[in-house]
Amino acid sequence: MSVPPYPSGTVRALLATPHVSEATRAALQARLAAPAAYAPQFLAPETYALLEAVAARIFPQPDRPDQPIPLAPAVDQRLAEGRADGWRYDALPPDREAYRMGLGGIQEIAQAQFQTDFTALNAEQQDAVLQALASGTPPGTTWTTLDAGRFFEEMLAELTETYYAHPLAQEEIGYVGMADLPAWTKIGLNEKESREPGLSS
Amino acid sequence: MPDEEVLEEGVLNPVKPEIQDPLLRALVADEPATAPVAADIPKEKPQAIEPEADEVDCVVIGLGAGGAPLLARLAMAGLKVVALEAGPWHNPEKDFATDEKAQDFLFWNDERLAAGGDPLAMGKNNSGTGVGGSTLHYTAYTPRPLPDDLHIRRDFGLGEDWPVSYEELAPYYEEIEQFIGVSGPTPYPWGPARRKGYPLAPLPLNSAAQLMVRGAEKMGIRTSPAANAALSARYYQEGVGWREACTNRGFCQAGCSNGAKSSMDVTFIPLAVKHGADIRPNSFVTEIERDARGYVTGVVYTQNGEQKRQRCRHLFLCGGSVETPRLLLLNELALTSGQVGRNLMAHPGLQVWGTFADEVRPNKGIPGGLISQDTHRPAGADFAGGYLLQSIGVMPVTFAGQVARGRKLWGQPLRDYMRNYNHIAGINILGDCLPHADNFLELAEEKDARGLPKPRLHFTAQENEQRMNAHAEKIMRGIWEAAGATDIWAFQRYAHVIGTARMGKSGDDAVVDANGRAFDVPNLYISDNSTFPSALSVNPALTIMALSLRTADKFLESLK
Repeated sequence: MSVPPYPSGTVRALLATPHVSEATRAALQARLAAPAAYAPQFLAPETYALLEAVAARIFPQPDRPDQPIPLAPAVDQRLAEGRADGWRYDALPPDREAYRMGLGGIQEIAQAQFQTDFTALNAEQQDAVLQALASGTPPGTTWTTLDAGRFFEEMLAELTETYYAHPLAQEEIGYVGMADLPAWTKIGLNEKESREPGLSS
Repeated sequence: MPDEEVLEEGVLNPVKPEIQDPLLRALVADEPATAPVAADIPKEKPQAIEPEADEVDCVVIGLGAGGAPLLARLAMAGLKVVALEAGPWHNPEKDFATDEKAQDFLFWNDERLAAGGDPLAMGKNNSGTGVGGSTLHYTAYTPRPLPDDLHIRRDFGLGEDWPVSYEELAPYYEEIEQFIGVSGPTPYPWGPARRKGYPLAPLPLNSAAQLMVRGAEKMGIRTSPAANAALSARYYQEGVGWREACTNRGFCQAGCSNGAKSSMDVTFIPLAVKHGADIRPNSFVTEIERDARGYVTGVVYTQNGEQKRQRCRHLFLCGGSVETPRLLLLNELALTSGQVGRNLMAHPGLQVWGTFADEVRPNKGIPGGLISQDTHRPAGADFAGGYLLQSIGVMPVTFAGQVARGRKLWGQPLRDYMRNYNHIAGINILGDCLPHADNFLELAEEKDARGLPKPRLHFTAQENEQRMNAHAEKIMRGIWEAAGATDIWAFQRYAHVIGTARMGKSGDDAVVDANGRAFDVPNLYISDNSTFPSALSVNPALTIMALSLRTADKFLESLK
């Protein structure tokens, strides 16, 4: 089902109202205010550039040419700090190693398919590389020791959760759950509070 | 592990303890057992343990649904009790954001390794930390088990029966429902008649619940507003005062900020504090110390970087199905049955999602508004046990993560699908699970940030779970089709880790007895979902609380 866009500016406007708690506002403002420039702390610059290029295909943002929602910084920061989310597939090595190996493996697929670096490929070719990875049986020696399907799933889930945690991505899907004060009273089918956006006509 | 120097002399540091079961010791040593086993095991005589200056009656490790109720009970009996909780003590009203990412601190984020054919997602799916444990982020879905849930072996010849009957648990279910404030239907449509109804009317049905009513009616499946441990009206809470009604934030799984959800931090814990319990947050236990007889004498723990010891006459281990067996294995404690870490079970929690022309806005209202237990023992089923059906709302980041993992969508198709968020609703099951030799917890070689071996959880859904999932998927797809959904898809998942230190009638095949007392160690009790002999076909929290109060009562009786 194709859905027309929700009106832009909804979330920023709501953040300034008493419908949002202080703790909620602080969390979302910090994400909105994150600087566009980011110097990688964990990944080597060229590996980080590769991660950025991969993220740009997993979440293409042609609608935000000047300021896409940043995705790679959250991954690099987490790896630098050594944070985990409570579990990992036993089939995969620890996260730092998995990302280093996996990103290297993506280069291997690009070389095998197009004899050039991933970052030098056009969007269609990059998608073909990622499709090979997602299929679970990509070419390259990396993937004889690293489970391609699991690595892709983990990377995809992390980028996805980072993207939809951003207030502008939440606005994109018409979510304004952050503005929950004092209460939601209209919670049934086809009911909405006046502060909840409808679709743009 | 702590420095040896810090430990006092005369305390057995449990690195390589003697085998505590005399019969097993004799077998291992290849000597005949010289005396009848029963006579050799010291009977519980609490007064026989010499009190020391800083010794308390009871230490409770873990303040979730297993630890908090008994802590309150023991404190109310006048005992000197100390609770050690690995996580912090939050102020939800001030600290909890309506934001999934910002609430990550509610989960046990030390890495656990998920192995087997159906690796168990941990973290936000299956863990908790902080004063209140995982009740800080449980959905508050609190149906009682039905009586035959406790007799899966009697009825199907598979799995294990409980050494405790439903009739013994029923008074505790009632006490808890009344005390913490469960909102639900009276009379309840399934199971035996009850002495008392729920203290509060059901919470209002959100869109997903209304859609499930629509579909289930057409399928001839009976539904009811569910029992949820969240307040549909203001409620007086002993030890707290008035708690306010639920505001339909729909954020139960990321923490309730107004105290309407009946987590332990707004129910049993304030009651325990009122009666003198000493709560120590940020206290991670590493060692359980014993004397020459094998009795627990105290614990060593780290609080804010400082190593401390607390002596006790009795220890209550309530860390949940991962940390409880990890502590037992690390300390080589209560292992003679060979069952610690075994019998790991997880509820089949298959979800079916659909897109509706109606506006759903699935973030609002109690997530699990509706229930059906018509599938508890489905006619003609090709599997043992059964499951319940539940409508589900969902928060956006959680949903997006599941779409990524479950549908493997990426790129523009993922963004396009997610734009239907306000038109998405789900149903899921919670089904019984049978123990299997392939499903267990062990300590890995790999160390975590604390320098301790990571737990590795092996889980593979077996034939019974697979058949149940297939049966349930067909029914849920049917309900959603009848309700008018399009683009229906199923997400395979398993929730709640259960059974890694099971209770039973004998120390030959169980870690604790029906009262939660360890067969090997007379002054050690376990109270959490690790003791469940079978998984049950309902969410575990209410039964964990019931067993917790029962364990406290049985323990207090034994002191008389």
